[in-house]
Amino acid sequence: MTEPIVSTPLRERATKALGDRFLHEALDIATTKFIALRREAFGNFPEGEHLRDRARAIKEATLQRLDTHLETLVANVERLGGHVHFATTAEEARDVIVDIARRTGARMAVKSKSMATEEIHLNEALQAIGVTPVETDLGEYIIQLAHERPSHIIAPAIHKTKGQVAELFSRELKRPGLPADPEVLTKIAREELREKFLQADLGITGANFAVADTGTVVLVTNEGNGRMATSLPRVHVAVMGVEKIIPSMTDLAVFLAILAKSATGQKLSVYTTLVQGPRRPGELEGPDEFHLVLLDNGRIAQLAGTLRESLYCLRCGACLNVCPVYRQIGGHAYGYTYPGPIGILLTAMLNGPRSVKDLSHASSLCGACADACPVRIDIPRMLVELRREVDDKGIAPWTERVVFKTFARVLRSPRLYRWGARIGRTAQRPFVRGGRIRALPFFFGAWTRTRDLPPVAARTFQERWREL
Amino acid sequence: MSSKTDFLTRIRTEMAKTRGLFAASSAERPAQPAQRLDLLRRELSERWPQTLERFRAEFELVAGVFHRVATAAEVPAALERICRERHARKLVAWPAEDLGVAIAPALAGAGIAVESMPRAAVADTERRRLRGVIADADLGVTGADLAVAETGTLVLVSAAGRPRSTSLLPPCHVAVFDREALVESLEHLGLALEAWHEGVPPAERGAVINFITGPSRTADIELTLTRGVHGPKEIHAIFVDGGLSRHG
Amino acid sequence: MTEAQSAPRAPAASQRVALMITCLADMFYPEVGERIVRLLRGLGVEVTLPAGQTCCGLPLFNSGYHDEAASVARRTASLFRDADAVVVPSGSCAWMVKHEYPGLLRGGADATAAERLAERTWEFSQFLVRRLGRTAFESDVEGPLAYHDSCHLLRGLNEGAAPRTLLANLKGAQVVPLPGSDECCGFGGSFSVRLPEVSTSILERKLANLEASGASCLVACDAGCLMQIRGGLARRNSPLRALHLAEILK
Repeated sequence: MTEPIVSTPLRERATKALGDRFLHEALDIATTKFIALRREAFGNFPEGEHLRDRARAIKEATLQRLDTHLETLVANVERLGGHVHFATTAEEARDVIVDIARRTGARMAVKSKSMATEEIHLNEALQAIGVTPVETDLGEYIIQLAHERPSHIIAPAIHKTKGQVAELFSRELKRPGLPADPEVLTKIAREELREKFLQADLGITGANFAVADTGTVVLVTNEGNGRMATSLPRVHVAVMGVEKIIPSMTDLAVFLAILAKSATGQKLSVYTTLVQGPRRPGELEGPDEFHLVLLDNGRIAQLAGTLRESLYCLRCGACLNVCPVYRQIGGHAYGYTYPGPIGILLTAMLNGPRSVKDLSHASSLCGACADACPVRIDIPRMLVELRREVDDKGIAPWTERVVFKTFARVLRSPRLYRWGARIGRTAQRPFVRGGRIRALPFFFGAWTRTRDLPPVAARTFQERWREL
Repeated sequence: MSSKTDFLTRIRTEMAKTRGLFAASSAERPAQPAQRLDLLRRELSERWPQTLERFRAEFELVAGVFHRVATAAEVPAALERICRERHARKLVAWPAEDLGVAIAPALAGAGIAVESMPRAAVADTERRRLRGVIADADLGVTGADLAVAETGTLVLVSAAGRPRSTSLLPPCHVAVFDREALVESLEHLGLALEAWHEGVPPAERGAVINFITGPSRTADIELTLTRGVHGPKEIHAIFVDGGLSRHG
Repeated sequence: MTEAQSAPRAPAASQRVALMITCLADMFYPEVGERIVRLLRGLGVEVTLPAGQTCCGLPLFNSGYHDEAASVARRTASLFRDADAVVVPSGSCAWMVKHEYPGLLRGGADATAAERLAERTWEFSQFLVRRLGRTAFESDVEGPLAYHDSCHLLRGLNEGAAPRTLLANLKGAQVVPLPGSDECCGFGGSFSVRLPEVSTSILERKLANLEASGASCLVACDAGCLMQIRGGLARRNSPLRALHLAEILK
């Protein structure tokens, strides 16, 4: 269990998000652009479909031999002079990193964007021992200043308009009157953070892949902060879910061919950084110590679980961009570290089925996510499985169970079904006006508050059949 | 704190419960990658002009600035032009043996200071000084181990004399390369990576390999593209037709 | 490529098809069923209606009540036991039968019946175009038409082409593209009432796209989508309409 279960019902959080005009505008702009970029990238890439199949197969094959690959990875990282740590829980991960920080006398850590470190809530733990964590990815830097959490897997501040960012920088950086100009704002971030990179004692990053065969940790970035964090401070810590291991460099090339295209529409991200242990004796730069923290936090349990397929996830964010629900409510309304379609599955993985009592229903099961996913994860299938788990474990309200069981009884009996139609016809009479139903009481009001309903037909099709 | 054995035990326990979702295998790897890479290079040398053209197009698509000179002797002049255009007076560079061409003397003549990176290990004080120099520099000059045409990507393997931040800290990065570096695709890049890790790596090789595709960028604010976030705002590639000299 | 393409085309005359009317069409849109029957008969197809139909069980399945869904599926599969071909006016119900019935009923007495039913079931537009090979019809509706892809038909059954072929060949009709035609309408079954605000917000986007398209009528192949979209249009007193494909073809 990583995160406390959010007590506010999802419907409330979602409705609040829907009322946020700025958010709505920001989401629309961002998701529409992301979709177009991705479409264009794959449109110009005929090998794309085949590579997606291959990537999916590599992920599955790796999980089928995860023990072997893990051993190979550890042996190679250690051979290169790195240290590997094994964190079963978020707490263990925090502890090992805090320990490293303490032992190496770190006072300030620069962080490259890492959802894994968000997942384990690392920053608070560092602050508690007097180490200042500085987020350096522009989006993370923005939300750190705003004391918020990321709202998208790859674009953490996508919920903010440029006006909001300008206001934030003006206030928090004591530079009043900044213009809502991304160029200007980016330049300021560059200036503010350059010194931090040069002075930091500790660099903390995530990792997109770890190549077992060569002990290589791979970072896919655009800004350059990943390169800085892995080369300038004297200690580098990479935090990575255990499912990100891949066997070889040849496998790596397959993933690189589709990852950036899925995430941002770029052929490749600006920087792909292959880290192979601490700096070598002759090297001018590089950390003296390299640590890889392998994170379980619910992943290993899914190897034989319903969410196994979600272990293929490359954290590209493509599913968020196409999700009709995410596009309306944004990331924060989901309430946990990972938002969007894959986020619901990951939330269940990290926190158990109770955490997705509502979230498993935050989907119309439209399938756009599965379509967009570079490794073809069948997210809707697993959402339905989670719903099933929520029902089977009695997490769903008992009233709901009664309703659905009754519903099933009616559907098994043509007689009850016909009665149902008759009852409907009678009950609806006071509400039908001009051939439409505009308002219904109780539960049914959920529909009629915003939409009309057709009335039950005077005679159902089956009742008319004889005359046809 | 959990141990490797803890992880392996749990992983194996779970693995035993399932055969997985479908029959699958990871990528097929070349049996003798170094040999295959050699063969590939020979094939590519027949069509290097097309590969170069594709590289140029892709490099420019990601906002790289492409230059071409006939011989290595013309590289300093090209560099000088680039420096003048952005008033760059302080350069850091890979040493001549790593660049395949000497640039410092010619540039010094033009009033442009070039600090070449040391090939041997240096004391900590010197390391700190050099970090300051690199951070202060206007422009960084490097070579490139590979130039991938498919994506306009430059691949730089760090090493003694080839520190990572020469292509990272200064606001402008210039990479000098010749046809030996050209490969067509990411698949070729994968092959090169396999080849480079076959057997024992050379002692002077560093611990990082960087693929660089265009200048540093972000779109974190309203998906508006801006360049030069933390890394260089500009990247230039100088292709030398006549080739660069190789050191042993 | 659609899954249904493995079955051979058969000429219309001497064809026999069982109609799976679906609970929504049965209760709320019987006129859609009537038009399908008349249309098919006009093509020389004999239409049967196995008696006592209720539902394919999708709402139960999607909410995670799989035992209950299986019990309903069992019954439905058995009702259609003798059918050589089954036609369904809804993409989502056709998907349920073709995609989920075999898994739900695996290992039981109805396993074979479920497999066979899955192979022989066609969504309505697929039946016309791929099974009967009939693509040329006349339009019964005035004004520009725009096609909305229902999610289960487009992604579940891989069918974006058949309805478009029918509309493209429609005599006397103007067809305009619908921006975001492949975007969900927000119905999603119980989703529409579990998260009604989000569902409505998604619907609003669809309606805005419809307005932008210049069409006077949206066409869809799913009763769920139609209930949602019509519900929104009616609430706004919009002059725009949303019709089932069967209500357009003559």
